[in-house]
Amino acid sequence: MGKKVQEITYVDSKGKRLDGRKVDELRPIKIKVGVIPRADGSAYLEWGQNKVYASVHGPRECLPKHTANPYKAVVKFNYRMASFSVPDRKNPKPGRREIEISKVSGEALERAIFLEKFPNTQIDVNVEIVDSNAGSRIAALTAASVACADAGLPMRDMVCGTGVGRAGGKIIVDLTKDEEDAPDAVDIPIAILPNSKEIVLLQLDGVMPKKEWEKAYEMAVDASMKVYEVQKQALKDKYLNGDDKK
Amino acid sequence: MTKRIVIPGELVTEERKKLGSHVFVSEGKIYSDSMGLVNDEADFASVVPLEGKYMPEQGDLIIGVIGDEKFSVYMVDVNSFYQTAISKKELREMLKPGAVISAKVSRVNELNEVDLENPRAFFGGEIIELSPVKIPRFIGREASMLNLIKDWTKSNIVVGRNGRIWAKGGDTDLLKKAVKKIDKEAHMENLTNRMEEFLEKNAPKNGVKKEVMEEDMEEGEN
Amino acid sequence: MSFTELWDLRTDKLIAELKQGKRLDARKVDEIRKPIITEDVSENADGQARVKLGETDVIAGVKMIVGEPYPDSPNQGSISVGAELLPLADPEYESGPPREEAIELSRVVDRGIRESGAINFEDLSIVSGEKSWIGFVDIYILNNDGNLFDACGIAALKALLNTKLPKLEDHKIVKGEYSGKLKLNAKPILNTFAKIGNTVVADPTLLEEKAMTSRFSVAVTENDDITAFQKGLGGSFKIEEINAAIDLSFKNSKQIRKLL
Repeated sequence: MGKKVQEITYVDSKGKRLDGRKVDELRPIKIKVGVIPRADGSAYLEWGQNKVYASVHGPRECLPKHTANPYKAVVKFNYRMASFSVPDRKNPKPGRREIEISKVSGEALERAIFLEKFPNTQIDVNVEIVDSNAGSRIAALTAASVACADAGLPMRDMVCGTGVGRAGGKIIVDLTKDEEDAPDAVDIPIAILPNSKEIVLLQLDGVMPKKEWEKAYEMAVDASMKVYEVQKQALKDKYLNGDDKK
Repeated sequence: MTKRIVIPGELVTEERKKLGSHVFVSEGKIYSDSMGLVNDEADFASVVPLEGKYMPEQGDLIIGVIGDEKFSVYMVDVNSFYQTAISKKELREMLKPGAVISAKVSRVNELNEVDLENPRAFFGGEIIELSPVKIPRFIGREASMLNLIKDWTKSNIVVGRNGRIWAKGGDTDLLKKAVKKIDKEAHMENLTNRMEEFLEKNAPKNGVKKEVMEEDMEEGEN
Repeated sequence: MSFTELWDLRTDKLIAELKQGKRLDARKVDEIRKPIITEDVSENADGQARVKLGETDVIAGVKMIVGEPYPDSPNQGSISVGAELLPLADPEYESGPPREEAIELSRVVDRGIRESGAINFEDLSIVSGEKSWIGFVDIYILNNDGNLFDACGIAALKALLNTKLPKLEDHKIVKGEYSGKLKLNAKPILNTFAKIGNTVVADPTLLEEKAMTSRFSVAVTENDDITAFQKGLGGSFKIEEINAAIDLSFKNSKQIRKLL
């Protein structure tokens, strides 16, 4: 028989979580635009403990040629975690998890970028996670979206999102690793286009009745719109402060 | 009054206007598709992008860099999505990789591949890069900015729409400073006035008039 | 590429018909193909299943091995689900290391089962901290006519449902002898939808997949709990489309469970 797990209160009677946040509160997010001079567009983002660098190159000629699409640009998204970004050293070689995240993240961006304007080209989006604590894929996508705008790619909208889910019986926004380890944890990364609220990324891990999902969705949209404001401000700050690092 | 900065997907106007560049319509409202400055005129809306790759247009004067040499052509880097080939027959001289030419875009296809005509080789000088979307600011309305900078630097300057400025002679240091200033302040108003003050402040005191070596290069159109 | 052109011609017809609410195989938009589930795969497998969904044909086999538990869960065993897109199933596949499609497929099928609590991992512990059962579910695609996700999901579940546990002597497997069955506490079913234009169809065929702009999968249990989501491909979904797909999944899954 297993040891008795110490009772952890994920959300106390006052609505406070383990790190003091309220159920609908995001961790602090900071974004700096244009940090990699050689890239066409770039961003550095901190989201709680997560720290990510995103760069965009392109559109440029799509090689190998058989991966090109004659009607639109192809997004090649690389999500990579540094070996020291997690508590136990991670093998630098991309694993299956990173490959899957790269796939769904690139797909999330497709709807946001006017890909048809650049047939036969590729757009390389590279994100390196240098420190992480849950929610890194959404942090990566948030930074990547900013880097795309910084690169001057024509876009119909930004991509913003958050993790949402459950721990300790309560629906919460932006789970940390401790909360993801809760026995009843559900983790739902979700990303939307802020104007239309179209869903461009949606995954779920855990067991959740539909009614709880509906509540989680509403909270996620509200939180995502706050993320959008941070993205917007970061992009504008590059010009308002004359703070162009290129 | 400073123009409004917008990010991609941000609302430009809810009024029914004609669509200029870098905007699109969704559910009856006009949105920006780029990071840029809003031009919200009475009858049409457009956005001038602050970032972006060079989108070639027929008639553009561009500055290219010679790449690989093939049997009968040179491959030219035009700072766009693809390299383009130029026939060796069109040039009077033999060129090595890294050589600089100016040329006119004669044709652009739907894949943004370009054909070039009238290539002219440059000798000497240097290339200064400036984001293609800021080149119009470097030229200014009716070339006012470009002429101002030429007057103060006395440099021979050829401006490529593809984000490259060729310069030779004169005070190229001052020119580079001017380019940097435009890069930083392209989104701000009254740039020409501020540039005039800036050039005055930063030009060397005795303002030596340097003569242009006309046999070394040919003036491009600006 | 001539291959692409052939698809374009056929998908144009499909899209036109769909605008009038008609699918090429006469199904309604919310109708799934009836899975044909058999158990005649491999005598060496500890658990097995073959699933045909229309002409999509997949086989799954389970091998239980004795291994070491992970350090952070010393009294738990584990399962691992992998799917392989065999070159013989589709001329567009090449052999080699798993492509991102195979990886996504494997991980989504795995998630739907693992996260559902269908298997109590503590039941798989043999000696706390030292030995536990590790179940490998390997799925091979024999023929691809669309919706590999759901076909693999059913195959993996069925194979686990009939998995026998090898007999152990001194915590080592006795070949060819079995003692007991793997116990599942839930039957999560994966349901995949394709968005074509503005229509969302259930259980897409291969041609429908060629025409789709976006894909959504949801795994549900018999208690009407959601155990996995995966939005795939470019494009997007409206929340109303997601919720309608969830409701339809509850309904369709009940039909599928009767066949297991």
